[in-house]
Amino acid sequence: MTTRDQVHKWFFYALGLIPIWVLDAFVLNRIAPFGVIPMLLPLAVAAVAVLEGAYAGTGFGLAVGLLWELSYAGGFGGLVFGMALAGMAVGAASQYVLSQNFFSCLLCSAVVLGALDGLRVLRALFIRLDTLDVLLRVAVPEVLLSLCWTPLVYLIFRFIFRRVGGTRLA
Amino acid sequence: MKEFLRRNGIWLLVIALLLSILIGVSSAFMGGNADPLSNLVTTITTPVRNGVAAVGDFFQGVSRYVFRYGEMEQQISDLEEENAQLQQQIRESQEALQENELLRNLLDLRERRRDFVFESAKVTARSNDNWRSTLTLSKGSESGIQEGNCVVTSTGVLVGVVSTVGSHYCELDTVIDPGMEMGGIITRTNAVGVLEGDFSLMQEGKLRLAYLPDEAQLVAGDEVLTSGRGDVYPSGLVVGQVEGVFNDVSGMNRYAVVVPEVNLDTLVEVFVIKEFDIVE
Repeated sequence: MTTRDQVHKWFFYALGLIPIWVLDAFVLNRIAPFGVIPMLLPLAVAAVAVLEGAYAGTGFGLAVGLLWELSYAGGFGGLVFGMALAGMAVGAASQYVLSQNFFSCLLCSAVVLGALDGLRVLRALFIRLDTLDVLLRVAVPEVLLSLCWTPLVYLIFRFIFRRVGGTRLA
Repeated sequence: MKEFLRRNGIWLLVIALLLSILIGVSSAFMGGNADPLSNLVTTITTPVRNGVAAVGDFFQGVSRYVFRYGEMEQQISDLEEENAQLQQQIRESQEALQENELLRNLLDLRERRRDFVFESAKVTARSNDNWRSTLTLSKGSESGIQEGNCVVTSTGVLVGVVSTVGSHYCELDTVIDPGMEMGGIITRTNAVGVLEGDFSLMQEGKLRLAYLPDEAQLVAGDEVLTSGRGDVYPSGLVVGQVEGVFNDVSGMNRYAVVVPEVNLDTLVEVFVIKEFDIVE
């Protein structure tokens, strides 16, 4: 693929990320279905990493981590590395262990969301924010309700992948 | 993985790690100020936030009109009744104010508190996870807003405290955020305590008034205001009402659950208190 093709391809992936970011940042936090605000950005990283592999997944994870850290309140920088690492791990898993399909994406999304909320729960326990059962009452519905959005996120990126993904432009 | 290593993917991870450290370190050294990268990105995305917020408010208004017409009619009738009662209260309070003014003059009391200096701001974004309760406002340090400024509604009800300030935006922790901590006072008994956010109560939209004195007698419905103790936050801001009094897990200390007066879901415009006089 030429550099121009690469720019073209990632421009469309960035376009695909915009509606997901708008939903995540401006819509779902107002509606909060069932009183829980879902996390869509990790799903986007998992979907692109499953479709594009470890290398591209790492780069996309880095970009999403930066977006997450810089545009949302209360970040401390760790999400940039965390999302890049998640992109790499999901990409590698889809290349060597799983396959490039929706169920791999669902499984990887569940693992990424679980890891994220697991770390949040550990941090909350460390600073004695509340007891484990209270924290789990927030974390578990958050992961489950976020996973409900996987089909939509996966469809958006699969649509882009089928047109400009992989080495199709080459 | 071979492809990942062959294409020097490890460098992407190193860049990600360095960026994380850069953001983390700059956040730590900037104190309550936004780090330069966040400040730049949020400044650029502010028009988008404002636009989306405006569109969202418009459609929220339209959907309310269409789907909740009957409810709105009932609300109008209730509000008319409430308005009549408030008019009566205003007449009574005006008499009380005149009497109060007279007494002040008689006792040669000087005014001990001047008006707050306000900065109006729009709510442009809300917290996007379930672990904190924050709001993003449309004004920042360019408008004189500083970390620690209190934010109130047009009726003087406390919304929260500014936690991060960018040049054209600021973020505030709402009254129910687990990081919230300020002095509170029960108006009926003058009992003081510490208003603090609680993670489990945050999910219900409430906060707690802790460290209550043993002799404090509280009943449901008691009004809670900020005490202004410590001279960090202004006194007399309405926080909410006591819902109930409970013992903590040790059984040694009591705390009150407070239902905030402010409705965080419907806030559109708020006022940042930039300056206030300390009540002695």
